[in-house]
Amino acid sequence: MTTATTTPAARQDSIFWRRFRRSAPGKVGAVIVGAFVLLAVFASVLKPYDPTVDRNYSLILKPPSLSALWDKDVAEAYKDPVTGQVNVWRAPFGTDNLGRDIMTRTLHGTRISLKVGVVSTILALLLGTLLGLLAGYFGGWLDSVLGYLTDVMLAFPSILLAIGFASIFSASDPPFLIAAMDRLFALNSPQLVTAMLAVSLVQVPVYMRLARAVVLSIREREFVQAAGALGASQGRMMFRHVLPNSLSPLIVQGALSIATATIEVAALGFLGIGAQPPLPEWGTMISDGRQYYIDAPWTMLFPGLAILLTVLGFNLLGDGLRDVLDPRSTQ
Amino acid sequence: MGSYLIRRIFRTLLVMLGISLVVFVFVRSIPGDPAVAMLGERATPEAAAALREQLGLNKPWFFNPSNPLDAQYPKYMSALLQGDLGSGIKSNIPVRDDLKARFPATAELSVAALLFALVVGMPAGILAALRRNSIWDNLATTISLIGVSMPVFWLGLLLSYFFAVKLGWLPPSARLGSSVSIERITGFYVLDGLLRGQPAAAWDAVRHLVLPAIALGTIPLAIIARITRSSMLDVLGQDYVRTARAKGLSGRAVVLKHTLRNALLPVVTVIGLQAGALLGGAVLTETIFSWPGIGSWVYDAISQRDYPIIQGGVIFAALVVSVANLLVDLSYAALDPRIQYS
Repeated sequence: MTTATTTPAARQDSIFWRRFRRSAPGKVGAVIVGAFVLLAVFASVLKPYDPTVDRNYSLILKPPSLSALWDKDVAEAYKDPVTGQVNVWRAPFGTDNLGRDIMTRTLHGTRISLKVGVVSTILALLLGTLLGLLAGYFGGWLDSVLGYLTDVMLAFPSILLAIGFASIFSASDPPFLIAAMDRLFALNSPQLVTAMLAVSLVQVPVYMRLARAVVLSIREREFVQAAGALGASQGRMMFRHVLPNSLSPLIVQGALSIATATIEVAALGFLGIGAQPPLPEWGTMISDGRQYYIDAPWTMLFPGLAILLTVLGFNLLGDGLRDVLDPRSTQ
Repeated sequence: MGSYLIRRIFRTLLVMLGISLVVFVFVRSIPGDPAVAMLGERATPEAAAALREQLGLNKPWFFNPSNPLDAQYPKYMSALLQGDLGSGIKSNIPVRDDLKARFPATAELSVAALLFALVVGMPAGILAALRRNSIWDNLATTISLIGVSMPVFWLGLLLSYFFAVKLGWLPPSARLGSSVSIERITGFYVLDGLLRGQPAAAWDAVRHLVLPAIALGTIPLAIIARITRSSMLDVLGQDYVRTARAKGLSGRAVVLKHTLRNALLPVVTVIGLQAGALLGGAVLTETIFSWPGIGSWVYDAISQRDYPIIQGGVIFAALVVSVANLLVDLSYAALDPRIQYS
């Protein structure tokens, strides 16, 4: 019995990896995402950082220190007044209006963005899938009501819905749920948690529709009917037979949603509704740099590049997973 | 078709009702007292209470047992149906007038963005599909992948830095130069400039339009290119296309007459679905380029907690999206006679 169940599982794994290795976007995406995960995990080891005290008024809005290699003015700015030596690694991405090293801040922003992107996607995936599963499995009035709610929610441009949701909760006295999540994920910013929940909420209808559509097609398959004929309960049929066979498209959508969530949380931060300064969230950093970007474009260049690369990584990973898990839909 | 049309329109109306309900509850859940917001922090409690009374904010939300119609929601709905969205708290200008003045700016920007996305995205997608796995295909696929991953607000700042600040080719903000003015006809400045016989002014409007349109159009461009490519590949692989080739038709005829028309159906859907994305993106793009449209208006209202404007702007945006979705569904019938509405 044990051998019979483990052997096919092992074979499935090898098919997954064999297909994944053949998918060029998947590989590139996995490398980018892996690199950002490593950076996020080891950020504090590479460069310990406290955003509340990090300031250096002798180095305000200085260009990337690497350009000291060819630019005399920059070299002058980064010259140590005592030893006269130029440290080209002092601030490789330049400094902002408070003299903070943009590279360190971007590095620590990785932590925030990944955490927020992954958590908001998982929440949306769980809630949306559950609702979609119920709607697809039971149909009837439940399906009609949930379908109607989906239609209403999808009629709002997602960023507007997120803005509306984020503006309901006061930051000074956050509701218990938000305060608890703030502690749980160590984000130190109730506004960021609200933004995260807002972005998550906007994604729920997407998962609901997807899960519903998949469940509708799986529900009619012979093995589910057989389980029902053998006397399986509703719950067992839903969670043991229909759900596990509906997961592939949801996982693919999950990777793509982390990309969307990352962009939207950054956009809320940029609009001043998400993470608040001095938190090194990428969107907030770009918003901080907006006043100075004409003279100091590096203040917004690098955080934006970080967003672009992270999002690109997750999009590629999603495409790769689709190649593997859902090969029919790939062109 | 007739009964489908009626049911589809009925559903849209039902969705709009839901939208009005969601916005109603949302706005009343925002912390802070609108009466205090209107009167200022130093208002006396009596004055605030009097204003609440005057605004009807002391009434129950949905149902008043003594008089069913004397509640906030019925009053709000009847005002909404008459097109009365209240007035901005700071400006005291009716929201409807602001909306009328600002919608053409957003519409012009969105149309320009969509045009840019179509003119670049569709040919790129077609080329990529026809020369599958060539350099062009890889290039188009890579660029569209970067496009969908692009944070719009960052792209806007980059464009404005390079083309406005560094190179000085194009203006960084606003719809017109300060020395140019166009008397309003449609509110689309490019069009108005031409209609009024002011080609120089129209050209100025075009120059102001370029950067924000590119910023706003990049994500739709990437999506349109991707969908066009995959839809073309889908159709090119079908039997009737092979038959057409086997008959000896030239490649050009096969592409133009047999493939393109059928391949463009999904593209139409995507264009319709972009309405929401464009309005959402407008919030960011208009903020960056100081574009006097609905997006920057709602954004300013949010930072100032000007509830009637937020309410009006969001309802309007949601209505535009619902109508766009309706039009997409109906346009299927015109484009694809195979689709039966039952």
